[in-house]
Amino acid sequence: MSLNRLLVLGINILIASALLVVYGLLIGDSGLVGIGLSTSILGGVLAIYSTIPQDPSLVALANYSNLLVNAVTSTLEDLDLLEPQICAIKRSDSTLLVYSKIPCPLEVDPGIGFSGGSPYLAIPVNIPTTLYEASGESTSTLLERSLTAVLVEEFSACKSVRVEEESGQYIVYITGLAEVPKQFLEKPLDPYTLLVLTVSSSVLDATCVKLINRRVMPDGILLVLRAEKSGAED
Amino acid sequence: MERRTSILVLVYAFLVVVSIISLYELGERRVDVYVSLNILAYYVTYAVIRPTYTSRHVRVLNIVLFIVFALVASYRVYEVLMK
Repeated sequence: MSLNRLLVLGINILIASALLVVYGLLIGDSGLVGIGLSTSILGGVLAIYSTIPQDPSLVALANYSNLLVNAVTSTLEDLDLLEPQICAIKRSDSTLLVYSKIPCPLEVDPGIGFSGGSPYLAIPVNIPTTLYEASGESTSTLLERSLTAVLVEEFSACKSVRVEEESGQYIVYITGLAEVPKQFLEKPLDPYTLLVLTVSSSVLDATCVKLINRRVMPDGILLVLRAEKSGAED
Repeated sequence: MERRTSILVLVYAFLVVVSIISLYELGERRVDVYVSLNILAYYVTYAVIRPTYTSRHVRVLNIVLFIVFALVASYRVYEVLMK
């Protein structure tokens, strides 16, 4: 059942139950009022459950990941970048996810190229949702809220996201991974790393966000990031 | 929609319909009984068929329904104590 159909069903039940309550009150039958109130709760529950993320987002993410992984894997093999340094570099219109042997090469263009004598692969990525604006909260909280909005609420790719800040590094715990995107964890490019780096580069207002460590655990995935204002060619 | 959520909605709707018909046929006229049984049906269904993914609205709904249920239950307890 799609979102709109469930929402329409919920609203219809709410209207019918409201009429039933009014009718029950008019004829003085409290049983009918009870039925009306009970069905209004049912209508409300249906309407609210229509806000749960829908499968198409997850399917779209899986299809996108599949296409990207198929295209990127052979390219990374050809460029000898199977154990690359991964980072996200912010541009004015999008974010570039860069695979390179050197960390954070800032002089990159989308596609394949050389920077600092090392080959790189830069994939332009755009976040499909509007991220939260900073409102006096810490950057780790803002990052956690933004990642939850994208990974949990938009794509249903996991159950929860937790972010901790430790000595300038952001530790992102993603737990309750959905089955479909989970199958990409062993691939060179997985949707979790891609989305976390892209969202982080937007939220942290950093020129470059490096992936320091990535560990797949039984209950999820742990990513350690470091945001750098100027980037580094080290 | 996710399969678990669809099952939850179906089972909950079925339980609500069964409880409403049963209560009305039994001649129950107290409004709070209908409401509290409905909320109970929701929580039982939610606990048994826990949806894999929820949204912020669902979490708010869970809290609101719990508050309503607590109010109904405490009103009944208050009534018994005052007798």
